[in-house]
Amino acid sequence: MRFVVTLLSILALVPATAIAQPAGTLVVGLVAEPVALDPAQVTDLNSNRVGRRVVETLVAFADGSTQIGPGLAESWTISKDGLQYTFKLRKGVTFHDGTPLNADAVKFSLERQTVADHPANKLGKYPFANYFFGNVKAVEPLDELTVRFILKEPRASFLDIMAAAAASIVSPTAVRKYGLDYGSNPVGTGPFRFASWERGQRVVLEKNPSYWKFPVKVDRVIYRPIVEDQARLTELLTGSLDLIVGVPPDFVGQLESNPKLTLLKQVGAHVWYLAFNNEKKPFTDKRVRQALNYAVDKDAIARDVLKGTGAVSKGPVLPGTWGDEARLKPFPYDPERAKKLLADAGYPSGFSTTLWVPESGSGMQSPVAMSTVIQSNLKAVGVNVALQTMEWGTFLAKLRTKEQEMFALSWMAGAEDPDLVMYPLLHSSQWTPNGPNRAMYKNARFDELLGQARLTTDQAKRAEMYREAQRILHEDPPWIFIDHEVQTAAHARRVQGFRLHPSFDLRVETISLK
Amino acid sequence: MALFLLRRLVLAGPVLLGVSVVVFAVLHLSPGDPAEIMLGPQATHDDISRLRSELGLDEPLVIQYARWMGRVLQGDLGRSIWMKRPVLGEVLRRFHATVILTASALLLSTLGGIALGVLSAARRNSPLDRLSALASLFGASMPSFWLGIVLMVIFALGLGWLPASGMYAPYGDGGVGDLLRHLVLPTVTLAAASLTIIARLTRSTMLEVLGQDYVRTARAKGVRETFVVVRHALRNALIPTVTVVGVQAGYLLGGAVLTETVFAWPGVGTLMVQGILARDFPLVQGCVLVIALGFVLVNLAVDVLYAALDPKIRRE
Repeated sequence: MRFVVTLLSILALVPATAIAQPAGTLVVGLVAEPVALDPAQVTDLNSNRVGRRVVETLVAFADGSTQIGPGLAESWTISKDGLQYTFKLRKGVTFHDGTPLNADAVKFSLERQTVADHPANKLGKYPFANYFFGNVKAVEPLDELTVRFILKEPRASFLDIMAAAAASIVSPTAVRKYGLDYGSNPVGTGPFRFASWERGQRVVLEKNPSYWKFPVKVDRVIYRPIVEDQARLTELLTGSLDLIVGVPPDFVGQLESNPKLTLLKQVGAHVWYLAFNNEKKPFTDKRVRQALNYAVDKDAIARDVLKGTGAVSKGPVLPGTWGDEARLKPFPYDPERAKKLLADAGYPSGFSTTLWVPESGSGMQSPVAMSTVIQSNLKAVGVNVALQTMEWGTFLAKLRTKEQEMFALSWMAGAEDPDLVMYPLLHSSQWTPNGPNRAMYKNARFDELLGQARLTTDQAKRAEMYREAQRILHEDPPWIFIDHEVQTAAHARRVQGFRLHPSFDLRVETISLK
Repeated sequence: MALFLLRRLVLAGPVLLGVSVVVFAVLHLSPGDPAEIMLGPQATHDDISRLRSELGLDEPLVIQYARWMGRVLQGDLGRSIWMKRPVLGEVLRRFHATVILTASALLLSTLGGIALGVLSAARRNSPLDRLSALASLFGASMPSFWLGIVLMVIFALGLGWLPASGMYAPYGDGGVGDLLRHLVLPTVTLAAASLTIIARLTRSTMLEVLGQDYVRTARAKGVRETFVVVRHALRNALIPTVTVVGVQAGYLLGGAVLTETVFAWPGVGTLMVQGILARDFPLVQGCVLVIALGFVLVNLAVDVLYAALDPKIRRE
């Protein structure tokens, strides 16, 4: 009682009306605060969702797909041997600080990451320097607006890499000016320029009135980090936020039926898998690996755990993209067939194994709940799984010991090129600890196909090779294939023209406010 | 008094040193590695080792601690691994939000608690007393993150009276009125447990004091009951309450971590939670050190207040 009285007396002192929201301002709720706004220095989605509004790449994904199109480069040519990529830059584009976009800025943006004695190299840590750009031998400006990348070996997915956040072109003037603090003061050519960042409260971007691509209709975007799901949702429902991304599965139903809001869904270039250690018994026998694929009820996981925020997968490649083998279907849920295969492999009464699961982690969806369902599915066919959950960093470190039997992990390629998901995760040259193939998968024909495909520039020929590779993965499965994440966003009615992007980017520049 | 203050200040040194050792040990011994988290799943073993050595994480813990402490003594809390900015500036920038929240919660819990306690004692066994006992039970046993969400659902979502999160409206110029509106829910959430503890304590000490001879004498003189309670009894009953308020102030400072996270309050708590998730050692150490310093200073203030209320303590 006293509580209420106290509360009411405080309320009496408080102004009754909230501050009205300005007409051209879009307020976006993020699940976490960005780490830094320099995409070359971060690995998390929230940072890039904001940072990529400020900086841009030479080539860019089209709206709604990860097909490559022109970006800051209006055209490009690839040499016959696939070793030289020459980009022609768009004329008359300037960074937000007035610095002209030219070949030197491109060279600077890449080499600050890859060249150890570059003056700007010590100004940050660049997680993608090796993974994406280790294959770049040199970046040569040919004239003011022409720049050539020379590769160490051909790589058919190189244009996809040049569309990745880490390949964004930054203003060299700004990097020199801000030094270590550049990540808090980004300057690029994008649709919005950085205005302010009050940590813990908001990041403010303002529209770039002279954006080269199209006139931006929103004046200002404010990003608010709100970690607590209920708080973020309440802010959206009360109209204080215009857009949230990453709706928690349990709230999807509630938002779907709300007439004041629009809920969007979009499958992302992501894959969630339960890997075997293919070098350890009994997983050396492919019948065991097939059996376990039949044993798991993926539909139930997507429906009941993920509440529709996952699309059942049949392999690592995103369905519907150019490299996809559309004739393959996901392994059906068939415990009887699983038992028979286990019996054929010499395990009629199953076996015991351990499954390592991270408690959370980038792209991991609901790892523990999903693994628990998998555990009970496997128990039904006689496979006793001991679940071991661990902290994300510890989990990644332990996978390098090669002691894993089974583990749950996901991969966000961010682009549809099969090379960016199959090669790192499954080619035998990428075995941990030197690469991300933590399943220790090795299949000679698969290796050969992937090796050839990345040297081939003709996309139709590559697609044929990747389709065969996927048929191999279905026959000789390295993992239990689970799902591709379906991204979700919800926005108020006044938000028009917004679409989710399969690369997980958040392109608010297409929005206009009613 | 000056000597008393000086002694207390000198004693604060070892306390902070102890806190720093414990925090350092807990952080470094718990699982999780900042380099792994920062570089993500596409990083190779070499990338991780290089970053670990750049961050000095490959050295023995004792050396790492000594190096960190050496810098702290010169007033440098290091650079955040995660934000890449100096820790001291970031923590201080966030500290004022935590102080505003903690202070308003302390004010609410102290005034509310004492008022409730005095009323309950003065009207012992009345319906008000019973109700307050019941409310106290709830207040003390509800976890703040749960209470916070319940209040948010009722007052922000249901009634639409108050904003659900943040410290200011994102597009305003941040006036006092806006701050007050945003302050209500987190303050009530944070203060609930302390308020009930202070209320129960005040009630019991008041009952004790009200039964003493001098109170009876005062009543026998014909002094008005309100005057007896407020003037004669309350002053003496306040001495143990002040001690508890001091303890609660520290508790609120620490408890603010959860409340801040629920309400996206931009204080040291939310900063620390982000730091913990990223295993950002310098940042978390800096946050804890600043909170610990706040705790020590509040306790010092309480001791001084205590000494002012009761001259016997100064002489001990």
